[in-house]
Amino acid sequence: MLMMVFDVCSHGLLVLVLAPLFVGVIARVKARFAGRTGPSLLQPFFDLRRLFFKNSVYSRTTTWVFRAAPLVVFAAMLALSLLVPLGISRAPAAFTGDILWLAAMLGLARFFMITAALDTGFSMEGMGASREAFFACLGELALFMNFITLALLAHGFSLSGMIGVDAPLSWEHAGPALLLVAASLFIVLLAENCRIPVDDPDTHLELTMIHEVMILEHSGIDLAYMLYGAAVKLLLFAAILVPLVIPFRTGYPPVDMGIFLGGVTGMAVLVGVVESVMARLRLNRVRNFLLIAFVLAFFAFIVGLWRM
Amino acid sequence: MTAWIDASCILIVFFALAMLATHRLIGVIQLFAAQAFVLGFVPFFLHAHDLSGRDITLALGTLVLKAGLVPYILFWAIRRVSMRSEIKPIIGVGASLIFGALLIAGAFWVSLSLKLPGKPLSDLILPCSLATVLLGFMIMVTRTLAVAQVLGYLMMENGIFLFGLSLFDAMPVIMEMGILLDIFVAVFIMAIVVNHINEAFERSPGSNRGKMGESG
Amino acid sequence: MILPALIFVPFTGALLAFLPLKNAARCFLFLAVALVHAGLVASCWRQLPAAQFDGALVLDPLGLIMLSIDTFLFLSLAVYMIGYFEHEQRNNRNFMACLLFVLSAMSVVAMSYHMGLLWVSVETTTLLSAPLISFHRTPQSLEATWKYLLICSVGIALALLGTFFLAIAAHDVHTLLLPSLLNGAPLLLVNWLKLSVIFLFVGYGCKMGLAPTHSWKPEAYGQATGMVVVVMAGALTQCAFLALLRVSQICHKTGLTEFYGSILILSAVLSLIVPALFVLGEKNIKRAFAYSSIEHMGLLVLGLGLGGAGVFGALFHMINNALAKVIMFFTAGSIAQKYGSARVGDVRGVLHVYPVTGVFLIVGFLAGTGMFPFATFHSELMILNAAITSKHYVLAVVVVACLALVFVGIGRIILEAAQGEASAPVLEKKENIFMNTAIGLGAAGLFVLGVWLPVPLERVIRAAAALVGA
Repeated sequence: MLMMVFDVCSHGLLVLVLAPLFVGVIARVKARFAGRTGPSLLQPFFDLRRLFFKNSVYSRTTTWVFRAAPLVVFAAMLALSLLVPLGISRAPAAFTGDILWLAAMLGLARFFMITAALDTGFSMEGMGASREAFFACLGELALFMNFITLALLAHGFSLSGMIGVDAPLSWEHAGPALLLVAASLFIVLLAENCRIPVDDPDTHLELTMIHEVMILEHSGIDLAYMLYGAAVKLLLFAAILVPLVIPFRTGYPPVDMGIFLGGVTGMAVLVGVVESVMARLRLNRVRNFLLIAFVLAFFAFIVGLWRM
Repeated sequence: MTAWIDASCILIVFFALAMLATHRLIGVIQLFAAQAFVLGFVPFFLHAHDLSGRDITLALGTLVLKAGLVPYILFWAIRRVSMRSEIKPIIGVGASLIFGALLIAGAFWVSLSLKLPGKPLSDLILPCSLATVLLGFMIMVTRTLAVAQVLGYLMMENGIFLFGLSLFDAMPVIMEMGILLDIFVAVFIMAIVVNHINEAFERSPGSNRGKMGESG
Repeated sequence: MILPALIFVPFTGALLAFLPLKNAARCFLFLAVALVHAGLVASCWRQLPAAQFDGALVLDPLGLIMLSIDTFLFLSLAVYMIGYFEHEQRNNRNFMACLLFVLSAMSVVAMSYHMGLLWVSVETTTLLSAPLISFHRTPQSLEATWKYLLICSVGIALALLGTFFLAIAAHDVHTLLLPSLLNGAPLLLVNWLKLSVIFLFVGYGCKMGLAPTHSWKPEAYGQATGMVVVVMAGALTQCAFLALLRVSQICHKTGLTEFYGSILILSAVLSLIVPALFVLGEKNIKRAFAYSSIEHMGLLVLGLGLGGAGVFGALFHMINNALAKVIMFFTAGSIAQKYGSARVGDVRGVLHVYPVTGVFLIVGFLAGTGMFPFATFHSELMILNAAITSKHYVLAVVVVACLALVFVGIGRIILEAAQGEASAPVLEKKENIFMNTAIGLGAAGLFVLGVWLPVPLERVIRAAAALVGA
């Protein structure tokens, strides 16, 4: 019992520390690409600290939903993090079929985010909410197709089994399908976390943006929860993707952990590079972008079936 | 080396899918070049242990002709068409992506009942080449821009070539070089015709630039 | 060394055509090349030359028939074009070079004994003939070129896939050389062979212009000049037929004759019905002749599919078809040049203005629709006979009905163009001696074959039919 509590705490701590760092690395890469030195890697921590010590301002039209949303989002993300292994830190709450729990947590967070946005009665937030809902539909389709493929490859329905914490999927056997799943999941990562080809996380008050416009009315500690939740989500997606791309274990925990951390850093760099070299897609093309993710996952599924 | 062949096959189909989803003509040509580039390395992976002059000739031929000269000629053909020119598909990109996914599934399904004699190095070569052929055919049928149709045709050829690379004992290398050369000439002539079409539209009054390079 | 010479003489001629010469000088260059080529082919009739390049180039009776057709067409073409380029200002450099390259490639087709080489050479003929269609570079002719290029390229790509499937079927033979395939027939994998036969048929069938992939034909034949159409309809499409004959050789040895025959007959019926329906509404002489060409391709395939006496008929029809095409399309081309159009409304009363051309127009119509005393009549009768003796009665009725419909459809517009009130031509009212000589050559040949089949020719056709197993 005590062991379990310790596991959960250490795992949670790891998530909470790594998430803002991940965002920091992306910011640093983007700055380098733009020819600037960029902020410190710890800058997201400072931002969060500043926001945590500020009070929130609420509009008179909002109800309890608006106030509950940031906490629900953050809590859902933390609950989700218990399913995702981080290097040698096993998922404390892995069980068969936990991908459904993962989807439920993502859905819960999204539901509250969207209702909170609608709750403000601000037309732009409503617009962002509708876009979020639409893209999430397509994104989840691709996400689930990927999970189905992974379940097929790993013969198991637990996320930890799928991404091969204990028994990594072999590239010899599952390589071709894994390649496609990785590409597809990366697109889903960009879309779910509102990164650049889909949404621009740096701009505010622009008609085309999605995520940032939805948290426009949140301030102070609420905003901090929202941002922290988003950072955790990004980290968790990267943590799911990394073991798929680097599917081998040396057996020495420190080395494995190093490889994992290196992989996550690499993923952050990759996201930063993508954000720097690509332009945001026109809104009606985002749909096709997500469809590509789905088709790739479907292709991976077929290849997986072919190799059965 | 099987893993590398597998990866190449998957990448070739992946580029085919990307070509389906790309709107800009230049992007499609670049993707084609990338596909041909991957294709050019397949002979190396196929006979990694006893690399012969034949493999090197084929690989170099593919790389130079398909990944180098052909895209160059196509760029030359569209130099007068507006650089922002977009491919106007008959069916939308979303629909063609889903249809493409079905075609891939179909190619794998058909391959189930086809058994290659001997011991093939990778069981993905057959379905992936079929899928590429089908996707290329689809691009050819659903695009209105002449250059896009050429690219569809070339993609078909890439698929067929991927398939042909695995048959090393029946085809003498001179024959495969002949095939490569023919494809190159095909593109060259098509590019000239596209160019003439552009000129004809420029000459005829009342034509708008948006229609250039388009044909029935 | 005759076989390489047959390839390199036209090839060198094509390279020489790039020299800065006058149009007329190039015509004489072309004539010289055609004469040398014809002389070489004539020497092959005395004795078949030895195989070259490890058996990849062999001239057998089938190839000899094809080669003779090619060389005759180019000889008459050489005469015709002297007249044509008297009235044509456009530089004919690329035109001549492409034609000669096509002749070179067609020579390879006729004697290639390797299925891969066969593919390469057929593809080459397709590609090099495409620029010929848009000689005048009108938007319509460019569109026709594009259609031809795309449809034939897809077809040829499918044929390549078929060739690769054949290579898989021949996994235990390790080569695609025709004799090895025929000798090692029991070693071929039947499933892959069947797949390969289907793809090869569809692929080369596109090139032949069989229905339903015929749609490039009316466009291309309608837009290209008469000279180019003669090469396409008389030689190029029949080169593709030669490829089908090679496939048929393999099928004969592997016991797939029934399977292949049923595919051939099905496609032949389609190719007979489609033009019969479409020709009725046609107003353009060239396009109407194009439909007739689809019909003839259908007859060739039908004869091959029926087997037995049908194969002899089909091979004989290959020769007759080429001769008929010389009359039909040279006349149509000369009319199109004189009137600036080939539509019936613009062309009227040819008999009054150009008596000789008018007569040839009617002769071409009769020859093209298979009337007595032209040899097309005999070969069509042979194919029909084969259908009846093999108890395909319904098929025979369909063939006759389609031929009758095409006769009506073409006769309607040809008679309207030949007779009636004369419309004004664009050029001066003078017959051209060279053009008429070329057409007369074809007409005389077709008439002679109609009343007398020379023994050596019959022997070669018999030997060729025996190769396909008839």
